[in-house]
Amino acid sequence: MAKWQKDKVAKTTAMKIIRFIIVLLVITSAAFATFFILKSDSTLLTHPKGVIARDEFHLMLTNVFHMLIVIVPTYILLFVVAWKYRAKNSSKLDRSQAEYDPDKSPGIFGELILWIIPSIIVASMATITWDATHDLDPYRPLKSEVKPLQIQVVALNWKWLFIYPEQGIATVNFVQFPERTPVHFSLAADGSPMNSFWIPQLSGQIYAMTGMVTPLYIMADGPGVYAGKAAEINGQGYADMVFVAKSTSQSNFDSWIVSVKQSPLQLTNNTYNELLRPSENNPTTLYSSVEEGLFNKVVLKYMHPMHPTHHMYLNHMDSHMEHKCAH
Amino acid sequence: MENMEKFIFGKLTLDALPHLWYTIGATASILLMGIVFAIILTKTKLWGWLWHEWLTSTDPKKIGTMYLIFAALMFFRGLIDAGMIWIQQAMAADSTGYLSADHFQQIFTSHGDIMVFFVTMGIFFGLMNWIIPLQIGARDLAYPFVNSLGFWLTVAGGILINLFFVVGGDFANTGWLAPAPLSELEFNPGVGVDYLIWSLQLSGLGSLLAGINFIVTIIKERAPGMTLMKMPLFVWTSLCGMLLIITAFPVLTATTLLLWLDRFFGMHFFTTGFGGNQMMYFNLIWMWGHPEVYILVLPAFGLYSEIVATFSQKKIAGYTSMVIAALSITALSYLVWLHHFFTMGAGADVNSFFGIVTMLIAIPSGVQVFNWILTMYKGKVIFASPMYWFMGFVATFMLGGMTGVFMASPPADFQVHNSLFLIAHFHTMIVGVALFGSFAGITYWFPKIMGFTLNERLGKYAFWLWLIGFFVSFIPLYLLGFKGATRRLDHYAASTDWQPLYITAAIGFIIITCGILMQIYQLIVSIKERKLHLDTTGDPWNGRTLEWSTTSPPPHYNFAVIPTVSGRDPFWEMKLQGVQKGRRPGKDYPQKNYPEKEYSEKEYKDILLPKNTAMGIYISAFAFVFGFAVVWHILWLATIGLVGTIVCVIIISFDEHREYILPAAEVAQNEASIKSLVQG
Repeated sequence: MAKWQKDKVAKTTAMKIIRFIIVLLVITSAAFATFFILKSDSTLLTHPKGVIARDEFHLMLTNVFHMLIVIVPTYILLFVVAWKYRAKNSSKLDRSQAEYDPDKSPGIFGELILWIIPSIIVASMATITWDATHDLDPYRPLKSEVKPLQIQVVALNWKWLFIYPEQGIATVNFVQFPERTPVHFSLAADGSPMNSFWIPQLSGQIYAMTGMVTPLYIMADGPGVYAGKAAEINGQGYADMVFVAKSTSQSNFDSWIVSVKQSPLQLTNNTYNELLRPSENNPTTLYSSVEEGLFNKVVLKYMHPMHPTHHMYLNHMDSHMEHKCAH
Repeated sequence: MENMEKFIFGKLTLDALPHLWYTIGATASILLMGIVFAIILTKTKLWGWLWHEWLTSTDPKKIGTMYLIFAALMFFRGLIDAGMIWIQQAMAADSTGYLSADHFQQIFTSHGDIMVFFVTMGIFFGLMNWIIPLQIGARDLAYPFVNSLGFWLTVAGGILINLFFVVGGDFANTGWLAPAPLSELEFNPGVGVDYLIWSLQLSGLGSLLAGINFIVTIIKERAPGMTLMKMPLFVWTSLCGMLLIITAFPVLTATTLLLWLDRFFGMHFFTTGFGGNQMMYFNLIWMWGHPEVYILVLPAFGLYSEIVATFSQKKIAGYTSMVIAALSITALSYLVWLHHFFTMGAGADVNSFFGIVTMLIAIPSGVQVFNWILTMYKGKVIFASPMYWFMGFVATFMLGGMTGVFMASPPADFQVHNSLFLIAHFHTMIVGVALFGSFAGITYWFPKIMGFTLNERLGKYAFWLWLIGFFVSFIPLYLLGFKGATRRLDHYAASTDWQPLYITAAIGFIIITCGILMQIYQLIVSIKERKLHLDTTGDPWNGRTLEWSTTSPPPHYNFAVIPTVSGRDPFWEMKLQGVQKGRRPGKDYPQKNYPEKEYSEKEYKDILLPKNTAMGIYISAFAFVFGFAVVWHILWLATIGLVGTIVCVIIISFDEHREYILPAAEVAQNEASIKSLVQG
């Protein structure tokens, strides 16, 4: 080989190595960036603050590890095989040509193995899924010595109304509850299409719909302030339909209730109908009292054959409810 | 007077004329393009040529080309939407960006509909029209007229979805599936949702007709000797996709029709009150929607199987397994729709069932990946650009599959549902599988379609830009999902820390755009240099299936003599027989210079070919008029449209002279001239 040829070969080899190193560096730095982003506090899903969200996060990790058992070797195999059997494999030209077998196929037993490997992983994940889905079912009350706090949630266009039936207060776009206490949300919607209620650090989301009630149980580990949001597209004000969820100590919660009771605002049929009008970017509002049975009326409204508009109708519902109670 | 006006114009008023910056801009550019196009055609006197040779053609190859061009045009529309979404989201931390919430919502809705119905499906229908008859050794589809009609109905739908720029200025702001009750009159009184419904009705009908046509073609028109288990895998997976179309698309038609009944006649299928059931809409639409996902990716799977076998110069590993895998994916895809709304609160038993069935899909998918790798094993892998797309596809597909199984677990899905994680997942699947697949397929079959290969070097540059751009734009979306970013947000608080990732994603979009520009440049350069890359053999890649046994481009009757098939790689076997003497197949694998099979004059027979017909255009035009009139509640015009459609269908049904005979002598003459052209 002439000198210039050798130089050329050396040069291209050096280029290849440099290129390989650059690619490796880019991939490693991307992996590091991903890792640090997942580690940063603003990444809500990897920093669960409640029992449900934590279990869901652990389940995700379990599933990912299961899948990596197959995925990682497959990735390696893909690139190794593609590299090794490339037609331009000049360094091992003779060997690769000797190995070339245009009719090579795994055969029936080989194929069976190909089906069995992913089946084992999926079978294992299926059992995990069955158990986890039942354990983390939103319908399932949480195990705790403390009596659950009831909160009724109504998705309105475009704000969240929280009703505390036991305390007799209501709030808009803000919800507070004691730490380490199960909270039982009953979700419904009014005058709004399908909605999704989500506090990422405390639990996964569940839909809130008109004419029906969906449950969701959460329990916060400690005091904190968490972002809550609407996750299903519902029109103009969708992006601003956010709320703040705050968990505090029981005593703080009790004094908060007392302070809300001082609020001049009251949630009556009239004020509720005003609230029902579409509005965006609603500020936090606190109501010192709530019309009795409001949530049930909101839900039953859509089960009724009459036209679901407003005031007259709500009054009608009153008698309807009483009628029901009498039975 | 007012009543009269209402009768004549329905809901149409002067306000419907373009008056917003984007509607004026779009209308002006549509008009400009139309005028330029008309001037060019008039100057070159090509109107007649366009009409007789192309628009009224029933040749699947020409219809295939028209599908590809139509899909490419729609792709630019969808791409502009994507760019506008990304720019808005990169800007809108603690600000409202440059788009209003309503406009932003219209953009992502039309982005979704256009990319799914017109781009991805359009490209695959185009490739299937071209390749399936060639691969099964047929001269045409089973129903040439229905093919033309299906294409023109799709075009009518495509025009209708863009027409709101010119008339109305308002598209649905609901998301691509128009989920009720958001799409009901109560929340969406405008005509936007009606445009969406009728566009999907027309194109959905077109897809259904194409689906029926391909199934009958594949079942009935195969060359002698090609049993089902000898069909190329692209034909197999296309057959699976088409089976999904004919079973799933009627559900779409019915569901959107029910929605329209709600909107037009004030019925209550999916309304919030009066016994309407919004959950039913979600169930119905996803009963179509999930099979739809596999309609998009199944043909791509088969296409990759063809490519990996060809470029590894080796038969596909585990053919039977691949067929079983495709069939099981087809069957399973009917049983997973609920995983699109685990969060509706169906209860643990139902959710677990659908979650586990979803995970089952990973098994056949995994088998496919293993077999593709095993196809390369002990092969001689030539890394031409289709193979680059293939490698990029497997890498993204495994990522997408992993995130898919991740979300198949209902409790995990509660956390990532409706978040950008989900967006990243399905884009990984649709871009990484279907779009990369269509690029691979177009590069692979381009010489067959045009008669020359595309520029390889530029194709590889385009691939790298696409692949890098893809990861830069969608990995941030996965992370944003973990940061709690929901989808479809037109603005957000800066305190969420999302903006840097949104900006990264927008940069990725710029890289992808460079990739697309590179593809356009590649096309221009390839056309300019076509003399250098002419495909004179008809077999530029050393192919294995029948489409490579004809000339490039094939004559309009595809095969002068229908080949007889004895194996799974019929053309490879023909070549092997030609070169066998004195050579080892291992070392001297079949080369391009295989001995041409000579046919004697006697072997040519008269060929029955379909005549051109403009009826497909007329029917679609009437259907379009009907759709437009219904959108605007113009009943007299709707009646004209409907009656016109029906009358045209009746007329064409009684036309018994839709075919002509190409005499054997003419075939022989044509073949001889092709041969002299190739050799000379």
